Amino acid sequence: MKIIILRALHWTCRIVLGGIFLYTGHIKLESPLQFAAILFGYKLFPDALIVPLTYYFPWVEISLGILLLVGWKIRYVSLGACGLLATFIAVLTSSYVRGIDANCGCFSFNDRITPLTILRDGIIILPAIYLAVDSALRARRGSSAAKPEIL
Amino acid sequence: MKLISPVPYLALLTLAFVFHPEASPQSAELKPEQCLGGELDAVIRIEVFSDFECPACREFYLRTIRQVLKEYSSLDKVCVVYHEFPLRGHKYSRQAAQYAKAAQRLGRKQWTAVLDALYENQEKWSQDGSLDDTVFKALGAVEYTSLKKLLLDPSIDAAIDSEVSLGEKKEVTSTPTSFVYAIGREEKVVGGLPYPVLKEFIDRIVR
Repeated sequence: MKIIILRALHWTCRIVLGGIFLYTGHIKLESPLQFAAILFGYKLFPDALIVPLTYYFPWVEISLGILLLVGWKIRYVSLGACGLLATFIAVLTSSYVRGIDANCGCFSFNDRITPLTILRDGIIILPAIYLAVDSALRARRGSSAAKPEIL
Repeated sequence: MKLISPVPYLALLTLAFVFHPEASPQSAELKPEQCLGGELDAVIRIEVFSDFECPACREFYLRTIRQVLKEYSSLDKVCVVYHEFPLRGHKYSRQAAQYAKAAQRLGRKQWTAVLDALYENQEKWSQDGSLDDTVFKALGAVEYTSLKKLLLDPSIDAAIDSEVSLGEKKEVTSTPTSFVYAIGREEKVVGGLPYPVLKEFIDRIVR
């Protein structure tokens, strides 16, 4: 029973997180200029960096989403998702602390940065952390099982 | 394990881009004289709702739009339309919009000169209200006199009101807000954009 619950949790985390990355990547691809305006509004990135971020970052999110759903190298992919979400939280917090009235650009383009949007991203990182820890533990269990027993 | 290719997704997105439900050039209501640069039938049209007293509008015009006008509108690849959207909280915005609207009626050269002067000297006139001085220096005595006569025409205010109504209809709530029309699609952009981003966007379509 415990195994079934853990499996269901693992799959739920992957589907939810994968779906979120696919959706957020898609809306950025649909409105590249609005996404660029949001990046510009953070007053954090040089203009030269905004161009590649605008056009290539959505593909990073979509790739992460697909890989999470497919389950390929889940240990590393979930670590990547953790890193990405932690970066989002840092960028949003930095903008909020500096008093910049900017859009979050997370799920829509008219979503002002508030403590709630930061908290929401903080909640979204939880399944990514769970997947990273869970897959690391599984890998460790797998490798120790494969070790020859010392008599 | 076989990886899922992003190609089908890209194809779907392209189809969505081409057959977007909002696909409408919406240029029927515009007149050629409303183009600050380029012509209405250009491949890309950028419509900006702007307020003369807003610092982000200043930055967007001076750092981005002027470059677009120079690099692309002069070659008729991009049409730039400026709509007046004076915000109520700004003391001199409405008056500045009246000057700009009157200058637009004098011609594109005069309109550009007034826009340049108003944005370049924003910090000064927004403090001391020296709009007259700023516009006079930009146009010279003869054209300034013509502009002053045009300012008496009530249709100037009516034109501004109509642009504000258009902005409200398009759910413009802050400035600058732009609408970029390209390949039959409209994208709303709230806030300024750096020139390199817009340049990359234009190049991808124009090339």
